[in-house]
Amino acid sequence: MTQEITFWVLAVIAVLGALVAVRRRNLIHGVFALMIFFAALAGLFLLLLAEFIAAVQILVYIGAVGILLLFAIMLTERVTGDNARDITSRGSFWGWVAALAVLVFLLLPAIQSADLPQTTEPYNPSVKALGQQMMNPYVVTLEVLALLLTAALIGAVAAAQGGEKNKEDADDA
Amino acid sequence: MSTETLALIPLLPLVAAAITSGMQCGRRAAGIAVAAMLGSCVLALMAFSESWGMAEGVHMHEPFNIEWLTIGDTVINFGFVLDPLTGVMAAMVTFVGLLIFIFSFGYMKDDPRMARFFCYLSLFAAGMLGLILANSLLLLFMCWEIVGVASYLLISFWNHKPEAAAAGKKAFIVTRIGDMGFLIGILLAFKTTGTLMLYDGGAGLLETEMAGTVFGFKTAAVVSLLLFCGAAGKSGQLPLHVWLPDAMEGPTPVSALIHAATMVAAGVFLVARAMPLFVDGGTLWVVAWVGALTALVAAFIALGQYDIKRILAYSTVSQLGLMMVGLGVGGVAIGMFHLLTHAFFKALLFLGAGSIIHGCHEEQDIRKMGGVWKSMRVTSIAYLCGTAALVAFPFTSGFFSKDEILASAWAANRPIFWIAAFASLLTAIYMTRQCLYVFTGAHRGEHEPHESPKVMTVPLIILAVAALGLGALAHEPVFGKLPGSAAPHGTIVIVVSVAVALGGILIGWLFYGGRKLGEGTDPLAVAPLREKLWFDELYAATVGRLWNLMAIIWEQLNELLLFVRDMVVALARALSSAVAIGGDRRFIDTFAFDGLCQKLRDCGWAVTRPQSGFLSSYLRLIAFGAVALGLLLFWMI
Amino acid sequence: MTLENCLILGAVLFCIGLLGALTRRNAVVVLFSIEIMLNAANLNFIAFWRFSENPAVLNGPLFALFTIAVAAAEVAVGLALVIAVYRHFKTVDLEQLDTLKEE
Repeated sequence: MTQEITFWVLAVIAVLGALVAVRRRNLIHGVFALMIFFAALAGLFLLLLAEFIAAVQILVYIGAVGILLLFAIMLTERVTGDNARDITSRGSFWGWVAALAVLVFLLLPAIQSADLPQTTEPYNPSVKALGQQMMNPYVVTLEVLALLLTAALIGAVAAAQGGEKNKEDADDA
Repeated sequence: MSTETLALIPLLPLVAAAITSGMQCGRRAAGIAVAAMLGSCVLALMAFSESWGMAEGVHMHEPFNIEWLTIGDTVINFGFVLDPLTGVMAAMVTFVGLLIFIFSFGYMKDDPRMARFFCYLSLFAAGMLGLILANSLLLLFMCWEIVGVASYLLISFWNHKPEAAAAGKKAFIVTRIGDMGFLIGILLAFKTTGTLMLYDGGAGLLETEMAGTVFGFKTAAVVSLLLFCGAAGKSGQLPLHVWLPDAMEGPTPVSALIHAATMVAAGVFLVARAMPLFVDGGTLWVVAWVGALTALVAAFIALGQYDIKRILAYSTVSQLGLMMVGLGVGGVAIGMFHLLTHAFFKALLFLGAGSIIHGCHEEQDIRKMGGVWKSMRVTSIAYLCGTAALVAFPFTSGFFSKDEILASAWAANRPIFWIAAFASLLTAIYMTRQCLYVFTGAHRGEHEPHESPKVMTVPLIILAVAALGLGALAHEPVFGKLPGSAAPHGTIVIVVSVAVALGGILIGWLFYGGRKLGEGTDPLAVAPLREKLWFDELYAATVGRLWNLMAIIWEQLNELLLFVRDMVVALARALSSAVAIGGDRRFIDTFAFDGLCQKLRDCGWAVTRPQSGFLSSYLRLIAFGAVALGLLLFWMI
Repeated sequence: MTLENCLILGAVLFCIGLLGALTRRNAVVVLFSIEIMLNAANLNFIAFWRFSENPAVLNGPLFALFTIAVAAAEVAVGLALVIAVYRHFKTVDLEQLDTLKEE
């Protein structure tokens, strides 16, 4: 019973957080709402007995991604004041239509028509088991992922630095 | 005799006609024409002797057929046939024709268009000979038409005279009316039997039975009557006789050739040739009655004429009627016998008349003649021989031939006998009248007549001998070879025929013998006879008026058609401009073509619109695409 | 807490993310809308794993883990790009970044 209530509360928080994130004019507020969303999702993961994933979610998303987004916003936009421009883009009506269409015509029918398994007994995985799975069947994926992160790191540095280098050269010449 | 030699008989004069058509010198042209005719005469006499030698009982007709025209399955042949009928006709035509050609040399000596005259004469001779020798009904008809054209050219030869031109036209048109019937007859015969050959080894027109009926009458009867239409036109039977007297406008040799010996005989020849059809169809009584009536009416009219040639013309019509009677009641031999004798004595009479006219300085009215006996002895004697033959004075050729006709008529058809006898009586009367007018008394003209040159009198003498002697000579051979038998000569017939001839002369003498001729009225030439029983006037009033009316109607119709044509042209023009400008320029160029290009450009522009460089729109499109794809898969599954 | 409810929640969250991506003008907002979508997908994975027949295979959490890692990398690179674009065009307004269209 409590599970039900928890689920619904967390669901509502997640939805609201997401909505605020996408609709808020003030981007900083939006990012914070996003963080609340991430948190709610972590709670849902806990409910679904994926504790490790919940922890990772909080660590990575709220800790890293969120902060990164804040930095990006601050670097690219003025935080307060003159967000006088309309936040919605031209033809945003079609965007609404598209999103709703996807929900109504694509996802929901898929869910309705699928043959879904019913509730089973809960399974509580240990972190050790997770580690063992990662090392044995999925070791290749793990290594590729490491490579990916390295590439991303290098790429991000390169992309972000590109302009500074030019400026330095221009100043020198 | 081979086909080639036979073909030469009509071909020689044809070639002469071709050669002389461009010549200017009359004497040379005459020479060529006479030479060609001489050649034909020789060949014809050879053919005649050969045909006379053909065995009795065996099929005497020897066809020479040449394939001429092939249309699909039908083959139209030309060909010549040589049988006693052909032989005797060809011999007669060439012989008489040769004499007339020689006579013309003298008669037309001073005419500026002499060469052209001989050209036409040769053409006529060619047509006539082709007609006689033809084995194909089509060839016969073609030669028939050639003869018609040549006669038109010859009758209207002195074309500066409007009467001559009118006479030529009249001859052509009236014979044309008969020719229409002839043509229909040919077509009907062809349709019924499938062949136009007369003799074809058993398959020819005259050899096979004509099956079926037309409008309830036997086909053979209908065909024979249609052919008789053509014969009636050419031979001047009632009611198509009106051209013959007017044809006297032509030069005298023309009258002699055409109206004595040949062209008018073509009709009689056609009936004789097609005799099997007449016998098969049982239409001989029509021939006999038409002939009898013609003989009678023409003889009456001749009584009232004053032109020497016109009298002879009506006499020809009357004698032709008698020939038709002969064919009708007696058969080929009897009719052809009279044709033969008539050819000689009528030619003699016409040439004699020509000589008289020439001698009387181109005078033709008998009232202005007289006393010719004294001045033109040779001509007069020859003319009197001809007259004797014509009135059937005993033991002349005419006597024998007319006697046969009367005998057959007595045996076959009594009323016709009396009509023929009465016509013969009238013949004697009008000929006596004419002779008295011309030969006796003092000359009533201005100058004394003079005898004609030898070139004109010699043929006269030859013909005179023939006119007197041919009857006795030809009697047996003719009746031996030609079909038809001589009827038994009862005493009554002989008495009647002699009485008619001598009686007529007597009556003529009584009426005209003692009188002062030329002044005062003529007792027998009453108004109706003088006016030719008003035949021409009747035709002008009825047929002539009808034709004028039709001409007016057709002219109006023509106007109407022209109007319609103008309308159609205007409509077509409007339509074409509408299509060109409206259709082509506006619709196709502007709307379709340029418009299409513009639409394509617009489409291209429309297609570039999504590429806005606007990221959100790309994403939206992707979302929509995903929805569409999902729906598609969803519905498909 | 049925599987169906989880899935519906995931779908709704996904569409909210999609809405943000399709509607907003700011490139950064588009990036965190994508994050929302990825998270919704993760939720789906975990939900399915929870109610699956063989949870011992741990394919749910593993996949979610990898997704989180990739997402993080992607955000880093994406934001670096945004900063580069900002330096060049002086704006991150998507409306004004239209050089992709043919001229």
